[in-house]
Amino acid sequence: MFEIRRTLVGVVTASAGAGALDGLVVPGRAFGCRTADDELMLLSVPQVTDEVVREVSTRLATLDPDALVIDTTDGWAAITVAGGGARSSFGLLSRLELPDAGFTQGEVVHVPAKVIADDEQVLILAPSMWEAHLLDRVTKALGATGRLETREWRVPTP
Amino acid sequence: MADGLRFEGRRVTVEPGDTVASALYRADVRTFTRSLKYHRRRGLWCVTGDCPNCMVNVDGDPGVRACMTDARDGQVVVRESGWPSAERDLLHVTDRLHRFLPVGFYSKTFIRPRFVWGLAERAIRRATGVGHLPIGRPASARPARALHVDLLVVGGGVAGLAAAAEAAAAGSRVVLVEERRLGATAWDARVRERIQTLAAEARAAGAEILEHHTAVGLYEGPFVPVVGPAEVLHVEAGRVVAATGAVEAHAVFPGNDLPGVFLARGAALLSIRHGVAPGRRAVVVATTDEGRASAAALRSAGMEVLIHDGPVIAAEGNGRILAVTLGTPSGRERITCDTLVLSLGWAPRDALLRMGTDQEVAGAGDVAIPGCSLEEAEASGRRAANGHDEAPSDVPTVPVGDEGYVCLCEDVSLHDLQQAWDEGWRSSEILKRYTTATMGPCQGAVCGRLLAAFAGARADAVATAGARTTSRPPARPLVLEDLAAGVDEMIEQRTSLHDRHLGLGARMERSGSWSRPTTFDAIDEEIRAVRHRAGLMDVGTLGKFLVAGRDAAELLDRVFPIRVRDLGPGRSRYLVALDEAGYVIDDGLLAALDHGRFYLCTTSGRAPAMEAWLRDWIDRWGLHVHLLDQTAQLGAILVAGPKARAILGRLTGDDVSAEALPHMRHADITVADVPCRAVRVGFVGEVGYELHHDRSRGPALYDALLEAGQVEGAQPFGLGALDVLRLEKAHLYLGQDTLPDDHPAKLGLEWAVAMDKPDFIGKRALERMGALPLERTLVGLRIDGEPRRGVPLLVGGRVVGRVTSCARSEAARGTIALGWVRAVDGSFPTELIAGHAVATVVPTPFYDPEGARLRV
Repeated sequence: MFEIRRTLVGVVTASAGAGALDGLVVPGRAFGCRTADDELMLLSVPQVTDEVVREVSTRLATLDPDALVIDTTDGWAAITVAGGGARSSFGLLSRLELPDAGFTQGEVVHVPAKVIADDEQVLILAPSMWEAHLLDRVTKALGATGRLETREWRVPTP
Repeated sequence: MADGLRFEGRRVTVEPGDTVASALYRADVRTFTRSLKYHRRRGLWCVTGDCPNCMVNVDGDPGVRACMTDARDGQVVVRESGWPSAERDLLHVTDRLHRFLPVGFYSKTFIRPRFVWGLAERAIRRATGVGHLPIGRPASARPARALHVDLLVVGGGVAGLAAAAEAAAAGSRVVLVEERRLGATAWDARVRERIQTLAAEARAAGAEILEHHTAVGLYEGPFVPVVGPAEVLHVEAGRVVAATGAVEAHAVFPGNDLPGVFLARGAALLSIRHGVAPGRRAVVVATTDEGRASAAALRSAGMEVLIHDGPVIAAEGNGRILAVTLGTPSGRERITCDTLVLSLGWAPRDALLRMGTDQEVAGAGDVAIPGCSLEEAEASGRRAANGHDEAPSDVPTVPVGDEGYVCLCEDVSLHDLQQAWDEGWRSSEILKRYTTATMGPCQGAVCGRLLAAFAGARADAVATAGARTTSRPPARPLVLEDLAAGVDEMIEQRTSLHDRHLGLGARMERSGSWSRPTTFDAIDEEIRAVRHRAGLMDVGTLGKFLVAGRDAAELLDRVFPIRVRDLGPGRSRYLVALDEAGYVIDDGLLAALDHGRFYLCTTSGRAPAMEAWLRDWIDRWGLHVHLLDQTAQLGAILVAGPKARAILGRLTGDDVSAEALPHMRHADITVADVPCRAVRVGFVGEVGYELHHDRSRGPALYDALLEAGQVEGAQPFGLGALDVLRLEKAHLYLGQDTLPDDHPAKLGLEWAVAMDKPDFIGKRALERMGALPLERTLVGLRIDGEPRRGVPLLVGGRVVGRVTSCARSEAARGTIALGWVRAVDGSFPTELIAGHAVATVVPTPFYDPEGARLRV
């Protein structure tokens, strides 16, 4: 069985020269996803996003004074598919090949998405204008397997 | 007790292991279909899914291959062709009318008078011997699942299984797909045993074997769509081994399509696997070992068998074969029989292999070495697993006689090919297009080689005339639902205010890929609210980009035709975007921020293209620019109307007066505790503030604005009102009011182009076009009648333009429109006919031409 959870993720986008991003030490509270040569996406819990922006800005300032570091949390909708079968069921959502553990990007349910996977769960982020589509299609596609557990969604208290 | 399957009103017993074809054949069904054009009887021929002869309707699904479909109790089977029935088909008369139905006849006949073709086409379509789509039946949604493997093996014969076992043992992720059950088309017990052993070896090594899964194509990747019983697999493979086998070659002689003519493997399958003898007296014409071996199989089924290894001159019969004339060393011999079994060579099933010529695809077994032994097949599979790419062996062409059917699917005879050749269609590719040979359900599996051989053998053929035609998906027949598997119908983009709009009773519409409100109540009321009080509109769909980096100004200055260098922080400017040809591709607004950054707003529909376009220029010029798409991150609400400022004043402590925040300026302010970038704009022709904010704060901001606006009589408005409001100001909608080759002068937008700048994209083209007279222009129109968008504009009965936008306007007191007109005799007409009304060209804007209301 597996389940789908809406997930609150803090997102910081850092744009800088490729060399600067290569040399950047990602803050421990964030998970870095290199989305392009000159762009890094940093994921964290939403409560620490401001700190991530500050730390990354400071660290990048010495590497690329022109760097742009911005909180883009509002631009993303996120869901997590968790549990046994989460990885194998991902093929119903996307043609992307999941890494064993880490980040990949491409189309999921036909919209551009960022995907972070490990052994037990798959986190999918899509631009927030597709939030309803993402939830609807993921629920339908995985629901058809008969192995999807659903539970009421409650906003977690910080 | 088993009920059997239902076949045209009668019960047909189903034995274990039966296919629909074997069950029907046992029940003495000999005619399975009628041919496409001439309605000739067609019976079982290959029994391996390669030919079109046994396609029937099963449980409402048309075009089902009976030989590939497991029979089961309760199934309803109907033959699809023939009128009134396949057994007694009056349309068989067309077989006597060859002279009147020559190849390509539909290109030559029923041409004049023109209406005749419409009638003829309907009649021809009804008469053709193919099934009918169940149009009224709802399609089921087929899921698609992506699968990533190191090796995909197509074909579960000896070679395929050996390849799977070998690769899996070496640690590769391996999936093998087999169209039927493993061993279902093998009649030789030794082959079946070897298949079982190798399958066990492959499974033990970790290979996944998927039966009843058909690979239907091979695309770049390699990417292989595989149709299974419950889903379609989209397989991305590191490599593909095509072990798709071979079928016995098709031979052309008079009567070669009569029921009772079998390929040897099919006849043996029927008799050995299904216990049904194809007939009582068979002539086996075989030049292959397997063909000769099949004779013994037929004898064991109780048939009287004559083996012959010379040519077939002709088969004769009426409805089924009655005799065959064979070529012998002493001349000809006529033998009476009810079955003719052929094994005259091999036709490798190489469709996938030929689709993947530039891909990591290797052939194994019969497809690479036709007619190979069991041991050779296994060795070939293991070699393919190890990366060895077997060069396909040459396949000798079966001799072609003087008469007979080449393409069984499309009813194309040798005579048809010769006639097409004589008409000048002189290569296999264009013969295919003209005669439709190879374009039927088998996709050339049966006839492709013969077509190529025919073209190559003509005395007047050029060197390439006899090349095989291009192999394209689908390699095997599939249903339309499989083509649509995994495709999401409509993907809808929503702003953060979507639920608020629904709560307010908005009627939503699709605008591009966005879901947007058309109206909340009455469009006219919404227009009045904006003109006299205030209106709120969700404009979060606009493209929104942050442009930063030390070369940001340089990029924008070089890309856009507006002046950027003099745009200080807090100022914004309307812009058009031009391509290299000087044509308008988008418009929007550029706002200068602090620290050399810019905020760029584009039209809703063009945002993704604008991002790609800008990134392209950044890369080409090697500029140091950060471009961040904030379309998803930021919402935007337009507050417009004479009371807009008063509404904002209730919710902000910041100065939003005309002095502090005049038209085309912007400032960061806080509205109802929501940080906003307020941009003074005037698309609707009134004082307007676009409040750009973090998406998550949108609903709270909207609620506060609605509440504060109540006192001032504000109300939300949608695209319906916007369409009129912007038309009154003659602001154009890109795409609706423009054509792809419109440059700014045609649209009256010269003022937005700084031609005195050293350079910008499209400048040189504009300079060249500037020297030419305008042949077309967008004009404002007053129409003496009802608004009708899209109607042609006429002068003296000649179409010279078209109405692109049109509405009845209370503010402009009449019907107003935008439309393009062409120059007539060197000048643009001022009086035109729009439909049944008179249209007069007038200056624009229609409302507040001085723009005084914007600057209040």
